[in-house]
Amino acid sequence: MQPTRILQGMRYRKMPLTTKDMNKGFYKGNRTGNVGRHTKYGGFTVEWAKVRTYVCPSLEGFTLTPFVNTEKKPVWGAFKGDTKGPRNPETYLARWKSENGFD
Amino acid sequence: MATPGALRPSMGAALQICRASSTRGIIAPTRTVTSRAAARPAFCPSAQAASLSTTPALLRRHKYIGARVTRDNNKKRGESVLRRTGTRWRLSMSDEPLPQPVKPEELPPIETDPDHGLWQFFQNRNSIANPPLKDAEHGRAWTVEELRYKSWEDLHKLWWVCVKEQNRIATAMWERQNRQLGYGDAESDTRRKTVKATQKAIKHVLTERFYAWEDAVELAKSDPEIDLSGDGPAFTPKEYLEEEVPGLGSGEEVAREEVKANGSDVATSSTPDSSTLLSATSSEQKTAPTI
Repeated sequence: MQPTRILQGMRYRKMPLTTKDMNKGFYKGNRTGNVGRHTKYGGFTVEWAKVRTYVCPSLEGFTLTPFVNTEKKPVWGAFKGDTKGPRNPETYLARWKSENGFD
Repeated sequence: MATPGALRPSMGAALQICRASSTRGIIAPTRTVTSRAAARPAFCPSAQAASLSTTPALLRRHKYIGARVTRDNNKKRGESVLRRTGTRWRLSMSDEPLPQPVKPEELPPIETDPDHGLWQFFQNRNSIANPPLKDAEHGRAWTVEELRYKSWEDLHKLWWVCVKEQNRIATAMWERQNRQLGYGDAESDTRRKTVKATQKAIKHVLTERFYAWEDAVELAKSDPEIDLSGDGPAFTPKEYLEEEVPGLGSGEEVAREEVKANGSDVATSSTPDSSTLLSATSSEQKTAPTI
């Protein structure tokens, strides 16, 4: 393929490559991700474990909305004194022991 | 004479009749001599009685040799679907009464299902998109601090509520642009940004929880109370739980915890004993901030 006249000269060389550039052998994906593998005969086998599925739970009786009342001001300082804060593993473990320790 | 034309035709016409009759004789060679003699017309020098009429010859159109074709080569000249001229010639069904289309005003109303899922793409059933003032009537986004209290189920559902709201906003923006309904994109944009901020906060909380879990698993490997091998209970506390004393760990501590709005008190819960276990559980069960 050849670029249009406006890109002739050095301008085209400075632009990032697209899937249409280069000779055969150059592959550039489009951020869709890998969902399988190519077969040696030129085909493609889909690996269903790699295919993404979207699970939407039942929203029956769910009252929360994406918004919070502006009158309710956000409260800060829940992890005061704790340098690790919400990612403290000790806190997590202690909570687990109290809530989930005994099945 | 009174009628010269009819009774005394021209020599040209007489010659034509002779020519016509002679060809007829050649075409039917199987005729007998007598019948051939009978076929010759009267005007030929040696003709017998036959058709004396000269009208066919006279009526025949005189064709000039080499004249061009003057017929209309277009059999469908003048026929137009757009102008509804109809056909030039009568067709076999021309006399049959054809059904006429119903006028759009007289058509029956289209039945729609009020519970159809596609209604969820619209903010308002009566108008396609909300007016800008109505669109701007929304609160602020959830903060990460507030979402940390929420369970996985709640966060999962809230995520999909946000996705649906984004779909609604996107539909409204698209319709507004397509039908040129007017202003409203700025308010829709602000609303969408708020929804996105909530979604970002949800992802933040879940990621944080996952990292904390990973670190906790690592820590649990070195904890003597916890057994991760899989045989036997995972957690065996070295201190037994003390008998619950009424008034301790139920009323006072819960009230204090709620005022602080604290998810987990670090100073008290580092070593789990009975009072902190109870206080920890009661603090977990407090209600989340309402919208």
